[in-house]
Amino acid sequence: MYRIGIDVGGTFTDLVAVDPEGRATLAKSTTTPADPAIGVLEGLNRLAEALGYDRPGLLRETERIVHGTTVATNALLERKGAKVGLLTTAGHRDVLEMREGLKDDRYNLRMPPPVPLVPRIRRLGVKERVRADGRVETPLDPKSLDRAIAQLARQGVDAVAVCYFHAYRNPRHEKATASALKRAFKGAYVSLSHEVYPQIKEFQRVSTTVVNAYVGPILARYLGRLQDRLREAGYGGPVLIIQSHGGVAPIGEASRLAAGSVLSGPAGGVAGSRYAARLLNSPDLIPFDMGGTSTDICLIVDGEPSLAADRGVGGNRIALNSLAIESLGAGGGSIGRVDAGGILHVGPESAGAEPGPACYGKGGTAATVTDANLVLGYLDPANFLGGRTTLDAGAAEAALDRLAGDLGVTRLAAAEGVHRVVNTNMAEGIRIVSVRRGVDPRRFALLAFGGAAGLHVTDVARQLDLGRVVVPRVAAVLSAWGMLATDLRYEVSRTHIGDTGRLNGATVKKLFADMEAEGRARLQASFDGPIRVQRSAEMRYGEQVFEITVPLDGVDWSAADPLPAIAGEFHRRHEELYTYALKDQDAVLVNARVAVIGLLPDLPQEPALTVREPAGPTAERRIYLGGWLTAPVYDLDRLAPAQAIAGPAIIESAMTTVLLRPGNRAVVTPHGWLDINVPLRGA
Amino acid sequence: MAENAVDPITISVVQHRLFAIVEEMGEAMLRTAYSQILNSSRDFSTAICDLDGRLIAQAEHVPIHVGALPWAARSVSEFFQGDIHPGDVFLLNDPYHGGNHLPDLTAFVPVFEGARPRYWSINRAHQSDIGGATHGAYNAGATDIWQEGIRVTPLRLYEKGEIKRDVMAMLAVNVRHPRDFHGDLQAMIGSARIGERRMLALADEFGWTVTLAAIEAVLDGAERQTRAVIATWKDGVYKGEAFLDDDGHGIEDIHIRATVTKKGGNLKIDLTDSHPQVIGFVNSSHPNMQSAVAVALAYLIDPHTPKNDGTFRPLEVIAKPGTVVWANPGAPVTLCTNHCSQEIIEAIVKALAPACPDRAMAGWGRRFRIAIQGTDPRTDKPFIWHFFQARPGGGASPVDDGWPGGGEWQAAGGIKFGSLEVTEARFPLFFRQHEFRPDSGGQGRYRGGVGGIVEMIAEVKEPARANTAGDGVRHGACGILGGKDGAPHRYTLYSRGSRPRAIKTKEVGIVVEPGDRFVMESGGGGGWGNPRLRVADAVAEDMANGFITRSAKARNTAVKKPAAKKPVTKRRG
Repeated sequence: MYRIGIDVGGTFTDLVAVDPEGRATLAKSTTTPADPAIGVLEGLNRLAEALGYDRPGLLRETERIVHGTTVATNALLERKGAKVGLLTTAGHRDVLEMREGLKDDRYNLRMPPPVPLVPRIRRLGVKERVRADGRVETPLDPKSLDRAIAQLARQGVDAVAVCYFHAYRNPRHEKATASALKRAFKGAYVSLSHEVYPQIKEFQRVSTTVVNAYVGPILARYLGRLQDRLREAGYGGPVLIIQSHGGVAPIGEASRLAAGSVLSGPAGGVAGSRYAARLLNSPDLIPFDMGGTSTDICLIVDGEPSLAADRGVGGNRIALNSLAIESLGAGGGSIGRVDAGGILHVGPESAGAEPGPACYGKGGTAATVTDANLVLGYLDPANFLGGRTTLDAGAAEAALDRLAGDLGVTRLAAAEGVHRVVNTNMAEGIRIVSVRRGVDPRRFALLAFGGAAGLHVTDVARQLDLGRVVVPRVAAVLSAWGMLATDLRYEVSRTHIGDTGRLNGATVKKLFADMEAEGRARLQASFDGPIRVQRSAEMRYGEQVFEITVPLDGVDWSAADPLPAIAGEFHRRHEELYTYALKDQDAVLVNARVAVIGLLPDLPQEPALTVREPAGPTAERRIYLGGWLTAPVYDLDRLAPAQAIAGPAIIESAMTTVLLRPGNRAVVTPHGWLDINVPLRGA
Repeated sequence: MAENAVDPITISVVQHRLFAIVEEMGEAMLRTAYSQILNSSRDFSTAICDLDGRLIAQAEHVPIHVGALPWAARSVSEFFQGDIHPGDVFLLNDPYHGGNHLPDLTAFVPVFEGARPRYWSINRAHQSDIGGATHGAYNAGATDIWQEGIRVTPLRLYEKGEIKRDVMAMLAVNVRHPRDFHGDLQAMIGSARIGERRMLALADEFGWTVTLAAIEAVLDGAERQTRAVIATWKDGVYKGEAFLDDDGHGIEDIHIRATVTKKGGNLKIDLTDSHPQVIGFVNSSHPNMQSAVAVALAYLIDPHTPKNDGTFRPLEVIAKPGTVVWANPGAPVTLCTNHCSQEIIEAIVKALAPACPDRAMAGWGRRFRIAIQGTDPRTDKPFIWHFFQARPGGGASPVDDGWPGGGEWQAAGGIKFGSLEVTEARFPLFFRQHEFRPDSGGQGRYRGGVGGIVEMIAEVKEPARANTAGDGVRHGACGILGGKDGAPHRYTLYSRGSRPRAIKTKEVGIVVEPGDRFVMESGGGGGWGNPRLRVADAVAEDMANGFITRSAKARNTAVKKPAAKKPVTKRRG
């Protein structure tokens, strides 16, 4: 039986089938944005063909499909979501647009204010009020509710978000509102805050609930259609959707909690990194995914990707736990420019794919990172990406000449400058993300993804004092592999505020047990395999405002009172993150979290390469590294396991080009990856 | 080219590195600070200055700190000249020795080239308390600085790596939250030490000669960038005026007058004609006044220009001691980072509006804070709550309406207010309303951002006490280039058995009875340009969304047909 991974990207839909021996087969189709299901089915045809089946034949032989989709993300980014109405507690209808008082870009006072997903005219207050302790202060007023519903009906909304004060504590009014909405609107998508995000903090909750309503109808329609088509084509197994937290969920759940897949775009790459961490026996990894306009990074600590609840898309806050992927505004298409003070900047402006770098010959004239790399000799203009395209060296030189003129330096110096500045920005970006997450990047290895990464990653590593860089042979396969190796995951959370010194241990035990039962029930509706449970809590010291996430896997839950152990875990984690703990202080438990994970059977390992003779260089190239030198060029696909290559050297494949600098030493792994040692400063 | 000239690429790399260093210092601070004011409202700054006090780089946290740190650095350098050692840490807060106001405590860690101190790695952070007569340092009753808190002149806290325990104990005993004080101070010093380490790594990588020369070039570059922008403005002598309501001690309509002479790439800002110094705490210290002038410039140039010594070289600032913008030693100044900073910024921006109408923005909101102290009947524990909600509106700009609830000039969207659900769970307060305040934004071709309304019940069993600090119940944020002023603040206290009364901006010891109701309506931002040129669609949208009501529409007759140029694109709906 096969497992099939399908990743719908902006331009291409990538598919991979893995057979029981671990052999992977790839196929590609053009993404069809109007209805991505069409591109998916076309891709399945091609995949079937590559394996010698017809489509129904392949689907009969398939036990699981894992699907990554950006339908929800794009709806939000392009503002093409549902027309949403929002019901709130009367007197509190502007929480969404107030945005906690924050504005980006502190010194830019000419910045237009953001446009909320729901304009004020469709944000209506309903007479009701629950108190912080869950008691009803003002009962839900049916007349007020009817009036609001009638007003939304007049405005023709196709989804309704409901977010009442303290509904995480007592959801009765939201539930009653949902019943009334279901009566009034046939088939409208209803998003309730206590279901989407049952936690304290009204801005986070209302924003997440609104995003859910905004993307929900579109995602549900798409997934429903996809499922129907796959059924028609004869597929009877599960279709699992990649979620923002890195796990997968069946279609029904993914449609219900649509906001949970908005940040799932790069999840495939992260899943691949997680898989790589296992394969390389390197539990601390930083995936470094350098694309055309940005470089996405994420921290894999102890083999698991970091999660964060502070993400957003297009300025819209989504407070659900998501993979903590951060985007640095630097990629192969990033543009070099000189400001009025004579300082060279690279990015965040990008030439993108259209017109792209000047050397693409599609009309771009700006000097980009890729143009600089070409001028420095790192890229072969006649044989870019395995010969799929050629580069226009003249156009790159002309672009760099203009930049050099602005800087008052030679073309070569300008090219080197672009390369150095972009490396500096990426290294500093990684450093700041690490500090923010409370880790020291020096103990990590960098995992290079994306076509442009291989030319920059070793210098970025050097700047970070980080000694190991790994380049996988085919990153697309790695992502698909990771997706297929991803487990089912349900997250359940509850707000339950109290000092650990004053809470009742039995109550807290019951809280976690109830949440675990809820998660298990949801999971077991579609899964009967082995289950793993992770408990954690968001906690803070009494006077602090920000909570930190504390893993509670080390707590003995059979103890009569687990609270002292919970407090202990908090102090320890606080010290780990912030260098100090205040053990004489009350530790406050704010949110309890349980992740119930349905463990899918392990994938067979990717087969190792057969042992063969080390391959010699295929060519030589003049490259500039502070001076011109001649470097051997190797073909990545022909290298033998355990073969070692010392820098300076260039290693190329159809997917990427890797630059080994003097002092770098690459060893080929059993799977044909490059494991590069970067000498540390002072070492 | 000079002999020690550094290539432009190295200069660029050093510039990007400097920016990253102060950012990293800020991130570390954010993650380690203990008190709410620091880790939530981010009222701190990180910077590198040289020994002469020239600003090398500063993270973009609190604008009003931007031009003030050089004075503090200079003060410490001068006091400890010849007596600065590796491992030392210095502190300072006194506004008459380089500080802004007393709550802003500043920590300095020296960075050495061999035996020679070269730079200061600096962290300035607003303390939750700094002693003095009232909690949290905002003492509207103060008539001299000794009533405002403990004054720290340049002081050595660590000597060659060893903490001076006696000094630390003396400081901690003088503030109300010694635990916060300790925690925050450790975070400040930790953050400054990161700056020290990173500056040393920078010098190690490029060598001191190149590093020093590159930094000079970075400053020169910022200067060129700023002058290039100023040069595009129309030359002339311009005047602008802004008013504070009062000083809380009977002095009203306190004016700030700016005469700005713009010639080529230079700006001369003359504040001499401002009101004489007053009795209450709205006086500005000299460094704070310098900082307010720098902020005004920073808002008018390109927002991403680095903020360093070079950026502010085009400025010549003229002011007179004994005026409200430069109080003589001994006068109270605690409110000055808000007021009169905001009026200084406003007077300058207003003056320059005709010179650069496509850059000048209308006035942002004023600050009006309330702190309530009492006992929570649910826990019998004392509490103190600071009001940050109902953010005032941001000023309209030449391109769009102002930010609703955008905040005040001096922070411009940098103050995060806390969740009301959390507030209700932690404090005996109940919020009936927290929404935008209709009709508060100043009318204009682009409308000022609306302010907010909070209606709140004090659910205490014993009377609590409230203090206020702020301004702007009579003078709203200014409209500009024909735009109208934003509505001023209006805070009202409803107490059973008493008539509703307006809460003043500078009150100490307001008695809050159980069940008292506060209605706090904050001011809106100023409008930009003639309201008659606002497009009809935008007016209709404002009506539909309730940002303006019918009565306001009647007062400000809108045009029937769209304006000739720069129509407001339909954004809402």
